[in-house]
Amino acid sequence: MNQAVALDQAYQQVEGNLVSDMNGEKVMLSIASSKYYNLGQVGGAIWEKLQSPATVHEVVAQLTEEYDIDREACEQQVVRFLESLLKEGLVKAV
Amino acid sequence: MKKNWETPELEV
Repeated sequence: MNQAVALDQAYQQVEGNLVSDMNGEKVMLSIASSKYYNLGQVGGAIWEKLQSPATVHEVVAQLTEEYDIDREACEQQVVRFLESLLKEGLVKAV
Repeated sequence: MKKNWETPELEV
């Protein structure tokens, strides 16, 4: 079951992941689980914004400035992506 | 000019 993501909760990267840029996409190795992940281009942008604590609202506000996407759709997709990151233990609520 | 959006997905 996916963990619920709250819009006003701050999230941050969990330490211990090696991240590389591959053809514009972010690829990550989790040292803890020995799993490789592809975050893609937009996922990589979201990942970078979580270097320091940020809420969904803050991330969405930045993304809608940079990308051609409306706020509501962006918010829904960011929440789903964050749920995946939480499930894999790659980000944490702070 | 804004960048093209792609649905973010975490692929294992």
